[in-house]
Amino acid sequence: MSLYIFYISNFLLLLCLTASLMQSSKIINNKIFTRPDVMVLASVQLISILLSFLILIYLFLISDFNFDLVYYNSHSEKPLIYKFSGVWGNHEGSMLLWILILVLFNFLFALSKRISERFKNITVAVQSIMIFGFVAFLFFLSNPFALNQNNFFDGIGLNPILQDPLLAIHPPVLYVGYVGFSLVFSLAIAGLITKEVDQQWATIVKPWVFSAWAFLTAGIALGSFWAYYELGWGGYWFWDPVENASLMPWIAATALIHCVLILQKRNVMQSWTIILAILTFSLSLVGTFLVRSGILNSVHTFASDPGRGLFILLFIFLILVFSFSLFAYNSEKINKTSSMGLISRGTGIQVNNWLLITILTIVFLGTMYPLATDLLLNKSLTVGPKYYSTTIAPIIILFLFFMFISPRLGWTDTKLYKIIIQLRYLIITSLSITLIISLYFELFNLTEILIIFFSLLLVTSSVTASINFNKQNILVRTNLGQNLAHAGFGILMMAVVSNAVYSEERIYNAKVGDNLQLQKYIFSFDKIEQVEESNYNSLKAYFLMKKDGKLIDTFTPEIRFYSNPPTITSEASILHKFFSDIYLVMNVPQDQQSISVRMHIKPFMTILWLGTLMIIIGGVISASIRIGRFDEK
Amino acid sequence: MTSLVKSRLIKFLLSLIIVLIAVLIIIFNLRDNIIYFYGPTELLKNSDKQGQIMRLGGLVSVDSFQNETDSIFYFSITDGDNEIEVKYEGILPNLFAEDKGVVVEGVYMNDGRFIANKVLAKHDENYMPPEVIETLKKSGKWQGE
Repeated sequence: MSLYIFYISNFLLLLCLTASLMQSSKIINNKIFTRPDVMVLASVQLISILLSFLILIYLFLISDFNFDLVYYNSHSEKPLIYKFSGVWGNHEGSMLLWILILVLFNFLFALSKRISERFKNITVAVQSIMIFGFVAFLFFLSNPFALNQNNFFDGIGLNPILQDPLLAIHPPVLYVGYVGFSLVFSLAIAGLITKEVDQQWATIVKPWVFSAWAFLTAGIALGSFWAYYELGWGGYWFWDPVENASLMPWIAATALIHCVLILQKRNVMQSWTIILAILTFSLSLVGTFLVRSGILNSVHTFASDPGRGLFILLFIFLILVFSFSLFAYNSEKINKTSSMGLISRGTGIQVNNWLLITILTIVFLGTMYPLATDLLLNKSLTVGPKYYSTTIAPIIILFLFFMFISPRLGWTDTKLYKIIIQLRYLIITSLSITLIISLYFELFNLTEILIIFFSLLLVTSSVTASINFNKQNILVRTNLGQNLAHAGFGILMMAVVSNAVYSEERIYNAKVGDNLQLQKYIFSFDKIEQVEESNYNSLKAYFLMKKDGKLIDTFTPEIRFYSNPPTITSEASILHKFFSDIYLVMNVPQDQQSISVRMHIKPFMTILWLGTLMIIIGGVISASIRIGRFDEK
Repeated sequence: MTSLVKSRLIKFLLSLIIVLIAVLIIIFNLRDNIIYFYGPTELLKNSDKQGQIMRLGGLVSVDSFQNETDSIFYFSITDGDNEIEVKYEGILPNLFAEDKGVVVEGVYMNDGRFIANKVLAKHDENYMPPEVIETLKKSGKWQGE
């Protein structure tokens, strides 16, 4: 049985390889390869990969340990959902998932109408070259359907820290984001080849780039949310290289979506938009494969082998060389000179583009510097998180200012003082709220005050802009996606700053019966229990949280002992309130009698996730509106 | 045309200034926030590093663990050749144990003691921080593959 599956699945991969090769040939404008047509080939690509992915899921569900991949990454006693998510909890499976999304985007784009056939063919051909490369990589260097000769009775298991419902969806969502930019990249290359990077191009690109961006945002947010409650450190962002690797394409993509909008509206910045499209996809590749390669040390690292890393590096290198030479050759032909006013919305967006690139550089240097010293000087070091916060914070102030003012400016030269006068109430309101906050909460750090002020300004400005009545007192259609996302970003920034300033942490060693204090709350250590679950044993502590003698909630931090593979994890117990989270984690060091409990008060966490959610929904709305409604003033 | 040139020039200069300032801030900040990693032998050779924030890694020496109170701990980190005494106040990770790999972050004091403010968390019993493996390899005490 296993042998048949082995042959069928490898045949499917080869089928996809062939179809992609034929599809790639359409990059040359000739009449020989018109048949089979684009749609047929795209369907073959999609169906062959989809089937092999379903086969892999099936192998994991029935725990067929004749396959190496299942043996190394699954266990018969694992709950069903983790057998399922175990499919992409490893290098080969996640590569197959990556390819599945690649062919899916290819297929969806091939379906789209009202696009010139030549442009569509080239885009699909570029996409198919990438599909070919990745399927070849999968087939030859990391085949998920490799058989082993032994009859293993049971598998080794999936890292318990990855056994989490959120982590079942985090990788697919993140991948849709990353891979979505492959299509944007293909569109950019097609634009370069046809020399048609214009308003129509931007209109075609817009829904794809916005949906990829929304998915990437959601993927990063899910990862951050998982780290918050699973890693038990009370933080949601650690400036860990792995997180940075996903943040870098996000920053580039954020610049890109705004450039696509300018291009669509004003037909300017063609070259820059193309550069950003190439950059975003390259960073997405770096993001996935730097993380997977084993260069970075983290839970994201799967078993690595140097051949694989070399292939990916070579692939990224080829993409960069190819696309930038094409760009150098054709860039003059795509640029059309048309002007924007100096003080205009376009300039504001351009300035913020520069600021985003600066932030990208900061993150890039901070992430790569330790890798470089390790490789070149054999010296290991870490860059402290303070580097990021202190360097990025001043830029965020400027960034927020331009985010607030730019949508208020027209596309042609605008008088700045007129806008300021028009917005005087907003400015005064935000200023006074900031003053009250800073006095009441004794906040005297200038950077923090400024970030809160401009965030408030951005939020109020975005909210008032979306509620816009015309002279007949009828609600006018405004750019809801933009306003929602911008307000969300302002809320996020306020939450991030206040969270950093007002978080509190207490550490206690506790025995049953102890009363521990955190601010106005008392935690009584009630009891400790051993619980046996299907795939782990756990030690569960019960803390009764009381305020003024009244019981408010029970906290049950946990330590889980997994046996396949043997691992210990701490599960935090969190009470989410609107204005702050209360967060308990416990540890039992092996040489100690009592348990140690760490308690955190994490203000504004709910609001922080809310702001992130608004950004994602804003992106989804912008993606689904076909023609941009950047409201003219 | 001239207004276009002018506006481009202003934009160019503006961005140049922004880039310059940014690069300067980045470089200074990066230099201030680098945390080096040392093994015990390496650290003893670099006694001029006292007072800086750094990471120290190796194995927790057998029979070195003591607690003064519930949350103040003393233990030594060894690479087999040399060891350094560490004082740590806080919460110890689940997998902290003698003869296991550990990485701490803190300050190397001029009395030769290391005051740690963080013991880096690990998740897997068999997991050994790559820096510790490197350290043990340097002192010839590494027994894994």
